[in-house]
Amino acid sequence: MNDDKRKKKEKKKADIARGLTIFVFLLPGLLLFVGILIAPIAVSIDRSLYDWNGFSPGTFIGFNNYVELFTNGSIKFMTSLKNALILAFFSVFVQLPLALLLALLLGRAETRLNRAYLSIFFMPVLISTVVIGQLWLKIYNPDYGVLNRFLDAVNLGQLKHIWVADPKTALGSILVPTIWQYVGYHMLLMYAGVKGVDIDLREAAMLDGATKWQVDRYVVIPIIKPIIRVSVIFAVTGSLKTYDLVRIITEGGPFQMTEVPSTILENMLFLRNRYGMGSTISVMLILLCFAFALLITAAFREKDE
Amino acid sequence: MESYVVKKSNPIINIIVGIFLGIWALINLFPIYFMFTFSLKSNAEIFGENIIGLPKEWLWSNFTQALGTGNMVLYFVNSLFVTTMSIAISLMAAMMACYAITRIKWKLSKLTNAFFMLGLTIPLQASIVPVYVVMSRLHWLNKYTTLIIPYSAFALSMAILICTGFMVEIPMALDEAARIDGCGLFGTFFKIILPLMKPAVSTVGIYSYLQCWNEFMFANVFISDSKHRTLPVGIKALSGAYTTDWGPIGAALVIATFPTLIVYIFLSRKIQASFIAGAVKG
Amino acid sequence: MKIKRLASIVMAGVMTLSLAACGQQTAPADTATPATDAATEAPAAEQPAASDATVAETSSDEPISLNMWCIATESDSNRHAYEAAIADMQAAHPEVTFTWEAFENQSYKTKIKAAVSANEMPDIFFTWSCAFLGDFVAADKVYCLDDAYQNYKDELPESMLGNTTYDGKHYGVPTTMNIVGLFANMDLLAEAGYTEIPGTYDEFIECCDALKAKGIIPFGCAGKETWCVTEYLESVIEKSVGADALNDIFLGRATWDNQGVADAVDTFQSLVTNGYFDPSGAGLTNDEVKNNFMAGKYAFYMNGTWNCADFAANEEFFPKVKVGEFPVINADQASLGQLIGGPSDTLAVAASSPNAERAADYAFELGKLICHYGYLDGCGLPAWTPYGDTSSVNELTQTVSEIVSKADKFVLFGDTAMSADSANTYLSYVDQVYGCQLDGKQFIEGLAKDIQ
Repeated sequence: MNDDKRKKKEKKKADIARGLTIFVFLLPGLLLFVGILIAPIAVSIDRSLYDWNGFSPGTFIGFNNYVELFTNGSIKFMTSLKNALILAFFSVFVQLPLALLLALLLGRAETRLNRAYLSIFFMPVLISTVVIGQLWLKIYNPDYGVLNRFLDAVNLGQLKHIWVADPKTALGSILVPTIWQYVGYHMLLMYAGVKGVDIDLREAAMLDGATKWQVDRYVVIPIIKPIIRVSVIFAVTGSLKTYDLVRIITEGGPFQMTEVPSTILENMLFLRNRYGMGSTISVMLILLCFAFALLITAAFREKDE
Repeated sequence: MESYVVKKSNPIINIIVGIFLGIWALINLFPIYFMFTFSLKSNAEIFGENIIGLPKEWLWSNFTQALGTGNMVLYFVNSLFVTTMSIAISLMAAMMACYAITRIKWKLSKLTNAFFMLGLTIPLQASIVPVYVVMSRLHWLNKYTTLIIPYSAFALSMAILICTGFMVEIPMALDEAARIDGCGLFGTFFKIILPLMKPAVSTVGIYSYLQCWNEFMFANVFISDSKHRTLPVGIKALSGAYTTDWGPIGAALVIATFPTLIVYIFLSRKIQASFIAGAVKG
Repeated sequence: MKIKRLASIVMAGVMTLSLAACGQQTAPADTATPATDAATEAPAAEQPAASDATVAETSSDEPISLNMWCIATESDSNRHAYEAAIADMQAAHPEVTFTWEAFENQSYKTKIKAAVSANEMPDIFFTWSCAFLGDFVAADKVYCLDDAYQNYKDELPESMLGNTTYDGKHYGVPTTMNIVGLFANMDLLAEAGYTEIPGTYDEFIECCDALKAKGIIPFGCAGKETWCVTEYLESVIEKSVGADALNDIFLGRATWDNQGVADAVDTFQSLVTNGYFDPSGAGLTNDEVKNNFMAGKYAFYMNGTWNCADFAANEEFFPKVKVGEFPVINADQASLGQLIGGPSDTLAVAASSPNAERAADYAFELGKLICHYGYLDGCGLPAWTPYGDTSSVNELTQTVSEIVSKADKFVLFGDTAMSADSANTYLSYVDQVYGCQLDGKQFIEGLAKDIQ
C-alpha cells in the first residue's frame, strides 16, 4: 500500500519534472513564435475593426475598413489582389513546370555537366531580391537597357517597350524576374525528390519498354507528388506576399496598376497613417494564404483518390 | 537489355534537351555577367556601343565610390551579423522545441507541432503593424535586435520542420541508454542529441539564410538610420542617390552578391546536399 | 480644420505683400551686411541673431549638444546651403556640439513620423508646412516658437509663418519658398519657331503641336513620383477655376464636386492623350526626368523653382533654359499672377528636446543662414528678408522672383496642404487621371466620396 502511494507520488513528481522540462524546452520557441507572430495577428484582427492612426486609442468602426477596402477608389485593393493572383498563376503554371522539367532532366544522369547545370540554376536563388530588382531595372531601361538594344540589334525594334512604365508590360516585367529567380529553388526541391526515387524502379520500368519520358510521367512524378504539393503552396503563398520586386521595379506604377497587397499595406501605414486599415489588409492576407493552402491540399488529395 | 539501350538514345531529343539546358544556363548566368561588367564601366561605355562586352577601361573607382559613399562594407557586415544571429537563435529555439515535441511523450505534442507549422503559411506582413507599433513604443527601432528577433521568429517554423525530420532519425535507444547512465532530459539533449544534430545545422542554416539575407520589407520599415541598414536597404538607398550613374550601383550590386556566390561555388555540392536534405526530411 | 483655415487666411491675404517686398529687394541689395542690417533695424533689443560674431557672446555658454534631421542629402539641391549654413553656425557657436543627418525624401517622411510617435525626435527637424507639421503640432510634439520669434521678427516677416501657424501660435522656421515654374528649353523651342514661351494657352498648345511635329517631346514628367504630376495638374486647374476656388477645395472649405475642376482635369488629360508627355516618363523618377530635360529630351518641364540651382550649375544647359508662368486657360475665373506654391520647407523644434529653448534660437539662426545660402545658390526664394550681396543670384531665380512679385494669389501644393490620408487619396486619383483610367467627372466624384 505504502509502496504504491510512494510510487504514485514519485510518478507525480516525475510528471511535474517532465512537464517543467517540456515547458522549458518549448519556451524560447513559443516566446518568439507567439510574441512575433500569433499575438500580433490577434492584435491585427482586433485593430482591423478600428479607425486607428497608430498612437491614439482609435475609434471602433466595425467592418467599415473591410468595406472601404473594396469601395475606396484610391485604395487599389482589388487591383492588388488581381496582380497577386496573376503572379500565383504564372508561378504555378509556368515556373513550377519549368522547375519540374529541369529537375527531371538533371535527375536522369549524374554527369559533370548536369552537376554544373544544377549549380548554375540555383545561383539566382542566392542573390538578394533587391539586387535582382536593380539588375533587371537596368536591363529594362528604355533608352540604355540591354533588352531594348537587343531588340534593336536583331531588327525587332517594333517590339521595343518602355517595359516598366507601359501598362501592358509592367506586370510582366515583375513576373519575369520573379519566375527567373525561384525556378532554381523549386528545381532543387524537386530534384531532391527525383534523386530519392529508387534506381531499381526506374530500370525496371525501362526494361519493360518505357521511354524516359514515360518513366518520368508514370514512375517519378507520382512519387514526388508531396514535394510538388509543397512547391505549389510555397509558390502561391509566396506570390501573395510579393513585395521586394514591386517596390524596386515599378513602385506599384504605372498608375498603381502593379500594386500588390504588401505595397498597399505599407502605403497605409507610412503614407497615410492608417494603421487600422493596414491591419485589415494583414488579416485579408492571412485569410487568403490559409484559404489557398487548404485549397491546394484538398486539390492534391482529390487527385490521389 | 537491347530495347533498354535503343530507347535510351534518341539523338534529336537529346540535342533539343542539350540546347534547352544550355540556353537556360545562359539566361541564368547572363544577368550576373552583365552586373559584373557594368560595375566596371563608365556611363559612356554602358550607354554607348559597349553594352555587354568586357569593359575597355576597368573602372575600379566605381567600387571606391560604392565602398566609400555607399558604405557597402558596413551594410554587408550588418546583413551578415543579423542573418547569422537570426539563424543561431532560430536554430537553438527550434532544436529545443523539436526535442520537446519528438523525444518526450506527452499528450499535446502533435498539436504543438501543428501550431508551429502555422508559421509556414502566415505571411510576414501579417504581423508588421502591431510589431511596428510595439517596437516604436518600446524605443526598439533601429537596433540589430529589431530585425534579429522577427527574423528568428519567421525562420522558426521551417527550422522546426527540418529539425523534426533529422531528429526522428536518431534512434530512441540512445536516449534510453543515456537515461540509464543517469542523464536527465536536459543532459540527454545537450550531450546526446545536439552533437548528433550537426547535419541539420547546415540545412536549417541555408533555408534561414535565404529568408533573412533577402528580407526587405521589415528591414526597410524598421531601420531608418544608416548605421544599422542591411544590404537590401543600403542598395535601395544607394540607387536613389546615383540614379543616373550606373557604375557605382553596379559595384554595390557586385559587392552584395559576389561574396555569397564565391562561397557558393566552392561549397555548391555541400550546400545543395543540405538543401536537398531539407526537402527530403521536410 | 481650424488650423488649416487659419493658415489659408494668412496665406491668401498677407503673403503677397511680403513676397512683393522680397522681389524688390533682390535687385538693389548690394550694400547691406548682416551686422548692419540687424543693428539698424533692431537697435533696442539685445539681438542674439544680430550677427554670427555676436551670437556666441550673448547666448548661454554652457555646452550642449543639438541634433538635426533633414532631407539635404548629397544629391539634394539644398545640400550646399545646409553645409555652408551649418559650418557658419558651428564656427559661431563652439559651445554647441551640432550633429546632423540627412535622409532621402520619401524615407524621411516615414522616419520622422515614426520618431514622433516614439518620442525619439531630434532637437531640430526638417518638416513640410501646413498639414504635415500640423499633425505633429496636434499631438503636442512640437515646441512653440512664439518667444524665440520675438528676436527675429524684423528679419522674418510674420506673413511667411502662415503655413506653420496653428491656433495663432508659431511652430516653424521657414527657410525658402518655392513656386511651380514652367521651365523651357529655348533651343528646342527655337527649332519649332518660337523665341519666347507662349503667353496664351492657345499659342501654348500650338507650340506643343509644332514641337511634336518636329519630333520633340513637349513635356517631361516623372510618373513614378506622383507629386511631379500634380505640378502640371494643379497649374492647369488653377488657371482654369482660379486660385480661390482651388484653395477652398485643398483646405476643405469646398467640396471636390466642382464641374470646373472636372473640366480642367479633362483639359489636362487632353494634353496627355495628345501625346505631349513623354510616355517613358511614367516609369522614371524625378531625378531621371530632370536629367533628361537638361540633356535636351523635352521642351518643357514644370516643377518647383528649387531646380533653378541645378540648372544654373550646369554651364552647358543654363544658357538654354528660361522660366515662365503657365498661361491662363479660362480668363473668366483665373488670371496671370495666380501661382502654385508658398513657403513649405521648414525647421521645427521638438517639444521633447531637453534644450528646446536654445534649440529654438539655434533653429532660427540656422534657418536664416540656410535661407541666405539657398537663395544665393538659387534653391528658391527667401522667406527671410535677404541681406548681403545678392547680385550673384542666378538669372533664373531672379526671373522667378519677378514672377512672384507680380503675383497676387498663391495656392500651396495640394499634397502639402492636405492631411496625410487625404493627400495620398488625392495623389492616387491624380495618378489614375495621368494614366487615363479616370476622366474629370470620375476624378471629382471619387475625391468627393473618398476624402472626408
